[in-house]
Amino acid sequence: MKKHITVRGAADAVLAYAILIAAAFVFFFPVLWLILASFSSTGSIYDFKGFFPSGYSLETFKKLFTDTAMYDYPSWLKNTLFVSSLSCVIGTVLVILTAYTMSRFRFRMRKPMMKTTLVLSMFPSFMGMTAVYLIMVNFGLINKLLSLVLIYSAGAPMGYLVQKGYFDTINNSIYEAAKIDGASNPVVFTRITLPLSTPILVYTALTSFAWPWSDFILPNMLLKNRDLWTVAVGLTHMGETEFSRFAAGAIFIAVPIVILYFALSRFLVAGVSDGAIKG
Amino acid sequence: MEKAKFINSRTIKLLIYPAVIIAYAVFMIRSGISDIRGFFTLGEVEGDAWLGIEGDDSVILMLKGILAFIITAAFIAFLVAVIRDIKTNIAELRLGTAPDSLGTAASRFMDKKFYVVALFLPVAGVLIFNILPIIFMTLIAFTNYGGDIVPPKLIDWIGFDNFKKILVLSELKATFVKILGWNILWAVLSTAINYFGGLFLALLLNKKCVKGKTFWRAFPIIAYAVPGFITFLGFKFMFSYGGPINYYITRAGANAVGFLDIDAAWTARLIGLGVNAWISIPTSMLLATGMLSNINPELYEAASLDGAGKWKQFVKLTLPFVIFSTTPTLITSFVGNFNNFGVFYFLRGGMYIDGYFLASDTDLLINWLYNLSIENNYYAIGAAISLIIFLITSVFSLMTYVKSDAFRKEDTYR
Repeated sequence: MKKHITVRGAADAVLAYAILIAAAFVFFFPVLWLILASFSSTGSIYDFKGFFPSGYSLETFKKLFTDTAMYDYPSWLKNTLFVSSLSCVIGTVLVILTAYTMSRFRFRMRKPMMKTTLVLSMFPSFMGMTAVYLIMVNFGLINKLLSLVLIYSAGAPMGYLVQKGYFDTINNSIYEAAKIDGASNPVVFTRITLPLSTPILVYTALTSFAWPWSDFILPNMLLKNRDLWTVAVGLTHMGETEFSRFAAGAIFIAVPIVILYFALSRFLVAGVSDGAIKG
Repeated sequence: MEKAKFINSRTIKLLIYPAVIIAYAVFMIRSGISDIRGFFTLGEVEGDAWLGIEGDDSVILMLKGILAFIITAAFIAFLVAVIRDIKTNIAELRLGTAPDSLGTAASRFMDKKFYVVALFLPVAGVLIFNILPIIFMTLIAFTNYGGDIVPPKLIDWIGFDNFKKILVLSELKATFVKILGWNILWAVLSTAINYFGGLFLALLLNKKCVKGKTFWRAFPIIAYAVPGFITFLGFKFMFSYGGPINYYITRAGANAVGFLDIDAAWTARLIGLGVNAWISIPTSMLLATGMLSNINPELYEAASLDGAGKWKQFVKLTLPFVIFSTTPTLITSFVGNFNNFGVFYFLRGGMYIDGYFLASDTDLLINWLYNLSIENNYYAIGAAISLIIFLITSVFSLMTYVKSDAFRKEDTYR
């Protein structure tokens, strides 16, 4: 009987590892393919031997940053960085304020506001975007990086639920104690809540940075000049003959974000699961 | 008793309240009333460049009209607050309480009404960039804006005609029905694949016999962290004519396959499902991992003492628990997939197929919406479709979400 179980257990483990190896391959191989492609010595996808380049060099990366006549990658990168970091700072502040207030305070408009955001999120994103586009055109705000920042930061509080879920888990008694000591609400927020909220702050900052960093739709709609493009818009315009340049450009902006995710993955899991349990 | 300073919270209010009322009156007389009128007429003079007539711009008129309504609503809310405040002040005067100095009043407001201060900017932002556009588009759905009728031509209110066109008129209706059918199938399939795929991986990584969990988990997390558009474009290259898949196919002696070509309905759909799974399974894996770590292990011990097998434990314990705690995310993921724009925009964007009005057979409603309103300026029809999408997703999710425990019992854990 006992032996039977161990044989079954061994078979189970072998099967588990086989599936894990397969999954790792499926998830990693496309990434590896792009990494290899970015080191290709030739540009066009037609020169590749299947998944592998016919030769390797650093030429593509050099070209990416020096040959800016058709594809001005350095300035796209600058634009993307500008939009993402600014939206990240403003968006994080707004989301944290919203989530904390919604979690901590009970006021007359609270439930109506929560229901409103819920209803708003049911509208397809393009509906508002078409209108924002029309409004921006009518008020001459098109072709400006700052209007992107404005839209990203203003939209950020809509996704406050994850952060609210986190604040819901902070024990009420801490607040009561502070109140008894005579701390006012702004003091409670800056001295007690914020120091307790590092995981969710990191999570929020990361997600609100990653969103503009990798968004394509909004910049594609609002930025018509080539020199204002963000990386996402620019890369979309590269065809099969520019494949390795596309890969190099993609790797260059994907690597920082992947490293960030790994460095902060501890916060990430906490953010995702804490927020989700409580909705 | 110390005499209250002349400039205190009460005297300041005596200055501010009338000023706001006068400002509102000036606004209404100077432009508000005509703005509201313009909202209903949407312009009476059509512009003509030849004759040099500067006509009305219906879009601007509508926007100004909406703004005038919002300002009026805000003004009414302000009046209500003022009346309430005056009442408390009168009560205080009767008691002879001295008014607060400006500084105390400000810091007391910061404390007592912290939520007002904190929410002011977020609410203003959402109001301007989410609510105003949605109100605007909702109204557009009842006009004939779009196609040939764009400013300087005048736009008119046409009631429910756009909805009639979509639900009755032959060409639009045929496209709508076909796309809706595929859209529902897509949402159900992709949600199920992503959800159970993620759950499966999480369960696998949760097994006692698996060593090096962090290492194995790293691969899906890489996929999760790669920006979405790179994934989409990468896979498009992978399945393109010059791409690696076709390289091996032609090397084997067969003809290159147009996986994402105009006649490739089902291969393109399957590739879409696969790519979407590649992107979404890692997220649901992370979620499920979080959930699984919250299950009380004693439950399993009790179950196995009662003679429940592995499978039975999974069906009776794990699955109900995970589904219970992920219902809200399951709904958001369904709605997200229903409105998944990226997959088919990047894989097969800009393709118009016979038998479809400005759409292809992989397009979801959201892609059609994009083709109509952004690419081809059919704003009113697009707005009407938006409202239909909204109706579908909200009826589906509000029913489930508001009833779910996560929403009703949010204070359970405090």
